[in-house]
Amino acid sequence: MKFLSDKAVERLRAAGDEPDLTGTRYRLLERVARGGMGVVYAAQDEKLERRIALKVLDEPRDDDVLANRERESRLLRESRVLARLEHPGIVPVHDAGTLSDGRIFYAMKFVQGQRLDEIIETVKPAPDRLRLFLRICDAVGFAHARGVLHRDLKPANVMVGPFGEVLVMDWGLAKILPDNAESEPRAAPGSQSLANNASDAPQDAGSTQTRDSTLTGDGSVMGTPGYMSPEQARGEVRLLDARSDIFSLGALLHFLLEGAEANGSTQRPRPLTAICAKAMAERPDNRYKAVSELAADVSRYLDGQPVSAYRENMFERAGRFYRRHQVAILLIATYLIMRALLLFYPRS
Amino acid sequence: MDRLCQAYWKAVYKYIRLRWNRPIDDTQDLTQGFFVELIERSLLAKYDPAKSRLRTYLRVCVDSFVMNEEKAAKRHKRGGNIQHVALDFTSAEQELGTAAIDPAAIPCPESLERFFEKEWLRSLFGLAVEELRDRCEQEQRGTTFRLFEAYDLAGDDSVSYQHLAQDFGIPVTDVTNALSWARREFRRISLGRLREICGSEAEFQREARAVFGWVPK
Amino acid sequence: MNKVLLGVLLGAVLGAVDGATAWFTPEVRAMLVGIIFGSTIKGLIAGLAAGIFARKVNSVPLGILFGLAVGFALAFLVAYLQHGHYFAILLPGSIVGLIVGYATQRYGAAPATAGR
Repeated sequence: MKFLSDKAVERLRAAGDEPDLTGTRYRLLERVARGGMGVVYAAQDEKLERRIALKVLDEPRDDDVLANRERESRLLRESRVLARLEHPGIVPVHDAGTLSDGRIFYAMKFVQGQRLDEIIETVKPAPDRLRLFLRICDAVGFAHARGVLHRDLKPANVMVGPFGEVLVMDWGLAKILPDNAESEPRAAPGSQSLANNASDAPQDAGSTQTRDSTLTGDGSVMGTPGYMSPEQARGEVRLLDARSDIFSLGALLHFLLEGAEANGSTQRPRPLTAICAKAMAERPDNRYKAVSELAADVSRYLDGQPVSAYRENMFERAGRFYRRHQVAILLIATYLIMRALLLFYPRS
Repeated sequence: MDRLCQAYWKAVYKYIRLRWNRPIDDTQDLTQGFFVELIERSLLAKYDPAKSRLRTYLRVCVDSFVMNEEKAAKRHKRGGNIQHVALDFTSAEQELGTAAIDPAAIPCPESLERFFEKEWLRSLFGLAVEELRDRCEQEQRGTTFRLFEAYDLAGDDSVSYQHLAQDFGIPVTDVTNALSWARREFRRISLGRLREICGSEAEFQREARAVFGWVPK
Repeated sequence: MNKVLLGVLLGAVLGAVDGATAWFTPEVRAMLVGIIFGSTIKGLIAGLAAGIFARKVNSVPLGILFGLAVGFALAFLVAYLQHGHYFAILLPGSIVGLIVGYATQRYGAAPATAGR
C-alpha cells in the first residue's frame, strides 16, 4: 500500500468533501474558498454555458440537530436575501436547492476579482479609494432601501473586479427589517426541500423579526470586531438598523484612508476624518441617518465642496476655494500682474 | 474483523512505538497480540458508541493491553486458532521515519488522540486508494487513476488542471470529469470501508461526519 | 448658465475691464469711452467664439489655445488699426482670450445630448 503524506490525506479529505452534483445542471470545477457556513466551489452551468459559484452548506462535525437546522436556515435566508437584491454591486443568485447527497446549496454569479483588503495597496490615490467607497455605499444603500441590513461589512467582504467593479459579498448575517417581512419571497415551487427545511426551522408564527431573533437572538454577537457597531457588539440585535451598517461603512472608510495619498501626502484631510468620526459615532443618533447622507458627504468632498460633518474656518474655506478654482485664479492674477507691469512699459 | 484490522493495525503499531517507546520487535508482538486479544476477549462487544468513538475506545484498549503486558511480561505466542493477517511492519516502521525514537518526538497527551486518528485515517484512505486503483484497472480507467494520483495524492499545490491536461494530452474538461469521478468513487469506497468497521448506523454517521464533514443521505 | 452665454458675459466684462485700464495711459485718456466700448466688443466676440467652441469640443487645453488664438487675432486687428501699441494691446487681449477659453471649458452647463 502506497504511503500517503499528511498533505495527501488532507487533500483526500477535502476531495471527499466535494458536493455530488449528479442530477443538477452543474459540473464541479474547483474549490474556491471556505466561508462561515460552507464551502464555495466554482462550477460550470452546462445549460447556460457559464461559470458560476456554488455555496454548499457543510454540516458541523457534531450531533447538534438544532445547530444543523439553524445553519440550513441561515444559508437559505442568505440565498433569499440575495435573490431580492438585484443590483450591480450585489452578487446575484441564480438558483438554490438540495443536492443528491442531501446538502443545501445556492448558485450565484462567479466573481472574478480580489478582496478589497488584498487589493488596496495597489490603489494609492485617495480619490480613487473614495470612489470605490461610493460604489460600496451604492450597493449597501440599495439593500437598505429593500429593508436588508448586511451586518458584516468589512474589507474582506468586498470584491473588486478587474474593471473596477465592486461587489459586496457574504450576506450570511443579513437581517431583513420587520417592515419588509411580508414581502419576503417564498421558496420557488421546484425546490420543495427548501420549503420543507424552512418550515422545519424553529420559529414563531408570523414576523421575520421573531424568526430573526431565533437565529441571532438578543445577547448573541455576530459580526467582525473593529467593524461592527457598538450595539451589535453588545448583542442588542433588536436595536440594529441602517445606522449599524453606517458604522461599519465608517470603519471601512477609515480602512480605505489608511495610507491613501492626496496631493503627495498621506496625511488625512480633516473633512474626511470628520466624516469617519460621524459615521462611527458611539450613539446611533449621532451618526448619518442614511447611507445616502454619508455618500453625499464623500461626494461633496471629492467635488471640493464643504461637507456636512465638518465646519470649516475662514482660512480653510478660502483654501478650498483656491484649490477648486486654482487655474482661473492664477490666470486672473497673471492678467493683473501683466497689467501692472505694462504701466511701467515705455511707450513708443 | 479483517477490515477493522486492516484499517487500524498501522495506527496501533505507530501508536505503541511513539507512546510506549517500545523497540521494533516488541511493538510487532504487541500489535499482533492486541488484535488477538481483541478477538479472544470480544472487546468490541463491550464498546458503547454512546460513550466514545471507536478509535478512542481502541486506543484506550491498546494502552490497557500494553500496561498489562508490561506487568505480566508475557511474550508467548497467542491465537493458534485465529487466522492471521499478514502485517507489513517494515513499511509501518519506514512510515514512522525513525530508527530510534526521539523522546521529544513523543506527542503530548492531548495530541495522542489526534495522532491516532491521523494514522487511522491514513490507513483507511490508503486502503480506499488501493481499492480505487484496482477498480480503475478493471474498468480500464488507467488514465483516470493516474490523474487522481498526480493531483490528489501527490500533494503538490503547483499542479493545476491545465498542467495535467497538457501532460496527458487531453482537454481540461476531461481532467475535471476524471477527477470528479475518481473522487466520487474514492468517497464511496472510503465510506463503504468505514461502514464495515462501525458497529451501528449512528456510529457510522458520526464517523462519516468527522472524516468528511457531512453524512450521505 | 450655458457655455456660450458665460463666454459672452465674461468676455464682455473682461473686455470692459481691460479697456478701462487705458485710463492709466494719459495720452489715450480722452478716447477712454471708445476704448472701453471697443474692448468690450472685442471681449464679447472672443467669449462668443470660445463659448461656441466649448459646446463642440470638451478639452481644457484646446479651449485655452482657442481662446488665446482668438484673443490674439482680435487684439492684433485692433493694434493694426491703431498703428501702434502692439505689445500693450496684444498681450492683455491674448490673456483675456485665454481666460475666457479656460472658463468656458471649466464652467458653464454643457449642452444636453440630443436623443437619436
